[in-house]
Amino acid sequence: MLPATNKKRETEKVWPRRRNLFSSRLARQVGWLLMVGAAWEAVARAGIYPPILFPRLSDVFVALLAEVRGGEILARTGWSLGTISLGVALAVTISIAAAALALGLRPLRSLVDALLNVLHPLPGIAVLPIFLLWFGTGAPAVLAVVVFSCIWPMVQNLLAGLESVPRTQIDAGRNLGLGRARLALFVLIPASLPYALAGLRLAWARGWQTAVAGEMVFGAGGGDGGLGWFIYKRRFFLEIPAVFAGMLMIILIGILVEHVIFGTLEHLTVRRWGMSRTE
Amino acid sequence: MRLIQIGIAGWSRAGKSGVRGHVASPALPRPRLLRSLPVLMLAVAMALALMVLAAPALTVSRVLGAAQPAEKIRIAQQFGLVYAPLSIARELKIFEKHGLQVEWRQLGSGAAVNEALIAGQVDVGFMGIPPFLIGWDKGVPWKVAVGFAEVPIVLVTYREDIKSLADFTSKDKIALPSPGSVQHLLLGMAAKRELGNAQALDSLLVAMAHPDGMAALLARRDITAHFTTPPYGFELLSRPGFHAVLTDQQAFGGRFSFNVGVVTQQFHDSRPRAYRQLVAAITEAMNWLETHKKEAAPILAPEFNLSTDKTYAYLTWPGVRYTVEVRGLMKFARFMHENGFIRRLPASLDDLAWENVAALVPPGEE
Repeated sequence: MLPATNKKRETEKVWPRRRNLFSSRLARQVGWLLMVGAAWEAVARAGIYPPILFPRLSDVFVALLAEVRGGEILARTGWSLGTISLGVALAVTISIAAAALALGLRPLRSLVDALLNVLHPLPGIAVLPIFLLWFGTGAPAVLAVVVFSCIWPMVQNLLAGLESVPRTQIDAGRNLGLGRARLALFVLIPASLPYALAGLRLAWARGWQTAVAGEMVFGAGGGDGGLGWFIYKRRFFLEIPAVFAGMLMIILIGILVEHVIFGTLEHLTVRRWGMSRTE
Repeated sequence: MRLIQIGIAGWSRAGKSGVRGHVASPALPRPRLLRSLPVLMLAVAMALALMVLAAPALTVSRVLGAAQPAEKIRIAQQFGLVYAPLSIARELKIFEKHGLQVEWRQLGSGAAVNEALIAGQVDVGFMGIPPFLIGWDKGVPWKVAVGFAEVPIVLVTYREDIKSLADFTSKDKIALPSPGSVQHLLLGMAAKRELGNAQALDSLLVAMAHPDGMAALLARRDITAHFTTPPYGFELLSRPGFHAVLTDQQAFGGRFSFNVGVVTQQFHDSRPRAYRQLVAAITEAMNWLETHKKEAAPILAPEFNLSTDKTYAYLTWPGVRYTVEVRGLMKFARFMHENGFIRRLPASLDDLAWENVAALVPPGEE
């Protein structure tokens, strides 16, 4: 076959093929989930296990609806979202300050590195017992562990991003006569944004995990607890479908945040600037 | 080429679709059914995996249990003053005397014991009446076999301004072991009487294990009050500056079984002999402990990590009674039903307890 016709065929196919890939990938994922759900329902309906240990998927959805109508699950979700958002926001602010200082002042760089190496491997849940003593049960302790577990991935990604900006781009900026502030604003920050976004994603995920785990393991939420406390309480009343409903809520929020918030952020910035090839 | 194709097709159906594509022309479209075959197989495999993962807890143990002679029995090991009869029975070989061979299981918390009992991993579980009723309400096929001790439970605080439940404000926090525990329900009963709403104090609750709750209360910072059992309640009240806001007797309005021994339908129906032996052994251990506290103290002291004298003081503390009598089952059930903790109301004691229990319930204390 001649190279020319080959090339033509490829260019013809680029758009439709990509679209198909995307839509069929989504369809395939949904298909998979439906299949797993059907298997779950079938196993539950077979009656091999007591329903209290292995509830039907349909009962889980019924429980979710009932909890939504009752209002408690929404209030708990709101509390979790509020606490985690505040925690992530605080962590991002601290991380940006830390990254700026580390890059601006040489000696501080090694301090931040040392802290990162020592504290990053420590899961937030492991420091919760101490934070409970320091900050008391409830919102303050949960907020503190969320901040703690979000800072490190965020700082690491910010530093990695800022250091990965190609020398040539910085030099080009300098040649154009940009000062320090404008260089940072127009070159460094946009160029390191993919890393910052990845860091934010990680921070959010870790924030959720830590907050929910903390409330469940230590009952740390108290009266004003979030989804973790909701699941914890329902477990003791053996409302297993409601326990699953709580998990489902966490999944739904996760998907929503991932696709709506992070997706939009990415669309508006790095993908628009042609820095990301993700579908 | 054809030979290879036939050979492979002959010995593996699953491999057929994949390998054939390579051997034959890549352009040849594979039939739809064959393409979705691996997906279907994976789905089936996942369903099987789900069954296998949840199965050992249930089926395997049941099959083993049925195959063994009736003497073998599995009990979760629990520690503390309340569970002293179990330690006594183990030390004095009372289970063996009644023809039982006990396999002790290590489990984390009370909730883990309940879940192990539901899953069929242990044959008898000891729990408070409220958690038992919550399970019964949800259709867990279990009933009470025997009463298991009465102990004093107190709501302790260091705050002098808190004299009754009405003195708690939204800034206070009350530590208790878990939602749905005896302590939670007692607080609900008192709140219903004094504040008009059983859930009035629910927003102040913090779930904490007894030692953690006691440490938090001693720190005098964040936890205002701790609803706890012996020996933690004794310890707290023996220190200066701590006083009781509420006792179990005030909350419940009488005596009740702190724990009950619970046995599943499966065990009760399929192993009647082991069931009778179990009840007899627990009754003997309980009666021995109640009448031989002096002799029991040195046996239990190492386990409690206390001196013999202190152990004796705890065993003889007012309100500590080792008895298999069952008190308060129906009263708890009625309260929990009226206040939305459970949905079903038992028609009679027979719904909640096995046939031998009727003789263990003192008149008027259902």
